Amino acid sequence: MNLENNFIKHSKEYIFSDNKILSNQRESAFKKITQKNYDKKNNESLKNITINDLSKFDYFYKPIKEDPTVSLTDDLNYEIKLFNGICKHYEDDFIEIRNLTNLDFKTLLNQDNNNLDDIIIDFNKIFLNSGIFFNIKSEAKLNIRLTHETSDNFTIFQNNFINFKKRCKVKLEDNFNLTNNSINNINYNINVEEDATIKHNIFQNFANSNKLYLTSNTVCEKKSSYSQNTYNFSDGFVRNFHHVKLNGEFSNASLRGCFFLKDKNICSNKTNVKHNAENCISDQTYKGILNDHSKASYYSNTFVSENAQKTQGYQLSKGILLTDNCSFFSKPELRIFADDVKCSHGSTIGPVDESALYYLRSRGISKNDAMKMIISSFIQEDLQNLDKDIAERVSKNLSDYLTSLVND
Amino acid sequence: MIFLNINNLNVSIEGKKILNDFNISINEGEVHAIMGPNGCGKSTLANVLAGNEDYEVNSGKVIFKDEDLLNSNIEERAQKGLFLAFQYPVEIPGVNITPFLHASINSKLKNEKKPELDNLSFAKLLRKKAEELGISNDMLKRSINTGFSGGEKKRYEILQMSILNPELTIFDETDSGLDVDALRIVAEGINKFKNPKNSYLIITHYQKLLDYIHPDYVHVMRSGKIVKSGDISLATEIEASGYQKF
Repeated sequence: MNLENNFIKHSKEYIFSDNKILSNQRESAFKKITQKNYDKKNNESLKNITINDLSKFDYFYKPIKEDPTVSLTDDLNYEIKLFNGICKHYEDDFIEIRNLTNLDFKTLLNQDNNNLDDIIIDFNKIFLNSGIFFNIKSEAKLNIRLTHETSDNFTIFQNNFINFKKRCKVKLEDNFNLTNNSINNINYNINVEEDATIKHNIFQNFANSNKLYLTSNTVCEKKSSYSQNTYNFSDGFVRNFHHVKLNGEFSNASLRGCFFLKDKNICSNKTNVKHNAENCISDQTYKGILNDHSKASYYSNTFVSENAQKTQGYQLSKGILLTDNCSFFSKPELRIFADDVKCSHGSTIGPVDESALYYLRSRGISKNDAMKMIISSFIQEDLQNLDKDIAERVSKNLSDYLTSLVND
Repeated sequence: MIFLNINNLNVSIEGKKILNDFNISINEGEVHAIMGPNGCGKSTLANVLAGNEDYEVNSGKVIFKDEDLLNSNIEERAQKGLFLAFQYPVEIPGVNITPFLHASINSKLKNEKKPELDNLSFAKLLRKKAEELGISNDMLKRSINTGFSGGEKKRYEILQMSILNPELTIFDETDSGLDVDALRIVAEGINKFKNPKNSYLIITHYQKLLDYIHPDYVHVMRSGKIVKSGDISLATEIEASGYQKF
């Protein structure tokens, strides 16, 4: 079904459809796309995506029987399951979770992504059908395992708000458990208040009939720390666009990602950090391994505003191309308007180091095993910095990926 | 049994001929040294024997333990007992020494249809050999050759040799880039693990390493072939008057 038919047929089903201001906003995003009022040549949000692919889909969203759940596995370890974008309302002394309601529409209007020139965000606005509000209370120290479960053929357009209150310390694990033919356009608005420390690990591993467009917009306040690690082992299309604003002094953000592609899979990545305050640190590192005819892109952007003195900003991208038919496009960018900063960027993309392969094979290691060792070593240094359970999980997924390469 | 016989070996790289009707025979337990000026084909010989796929073997035969070595790929040659101690051992960040060496010894044992070593047995073997070479436990926790000094890299090559116990070891200019003390330490390491059943082919520019190792035969190589063979006195002659006369 084309975009217009989807919009006309389903516009009354979306949340806030009775809100005039939001409806107008929807209408204007819809017009922007149908009237092609956007940058068509250099639009980073459309890298590795065509507007036709985005526009032609069968919108499908309806309430289902399965209930979302919130459970405490043990002390301060929360298991939260979202079914087709819906959560179960829950509140205790540390955490509050609920679905967005009409009362939240002002928040939605003021959200930080309104100024982003991002076609995916426009689609999210047009078809918005779900949203979750998370509130992690001050001083809370807890672990959250969040699972997004999407049923066959569902199209999820979700806008989530997470508020990490002062001095909380949270390990958030995001899992995408998608079945078949689902489209998931998920946007996070994350606020990290003063002195809060957040470790956000995102696992993406699903079948190739699914598509995930994941966008996050994070604001870090004074002395806060936000560390995001994204692992994409999916056979389906994934877009990871993650933005951070370091608005408070002595705050830091780390946006790291690893992707492992094969067949004709495609992934599109972007990280963007804005240093708006003094003495902040950022790190953007994405690494990828590509096989067969797979394709990836990575834009990284560091913006240092005039008053953000003593900034430290680092960017790095690395890629291993296992065949001549795969490709990895990388574009690092630094825009610096302060004079007392330390910033760097680097990008290396190429095949497996033949001299390393020769060395390992000369010690009796088979070519396949030597390849596995070299590929594993590529992300080994990243695993060393992870919590043990996360590192084990990544290792297991990596091992499955390497086995699939050898069995090809 | 023919241990190693190289017969009229011709090798080129990117169309340029490097080895030119090269011949040599090495018996079990013998130590041979090949000396020669830069560009005479010494390292090419070492790499061709190890199976480096960058080189093109145009003609000739290499028999190792009664089998045609040229029919085997790189790892099969290693599993059959051939070991190349590299001139410039490559750094491989992220690949830890211990599991790598464990996989390496087990691939050889598997090929010999012998039981593979479990983690504990291998750890004991590695610690023992490392101690004998004065290699610390900390070094064994590091990635292959990563951040090692020149001497450490060569000592690590000797450690690998001692664990894999190959029938034929080729030292490709093991003495290059080493100061006097490092050279002595490496040479002592080689002597410690030298085994009368195994054979060694030492490729070098200089006599110094041979003073420590005492080869049975010394060969002079020029323009891709051996032009003279003799005993250790040949090395002394080269040290005194250079390669010009050969």
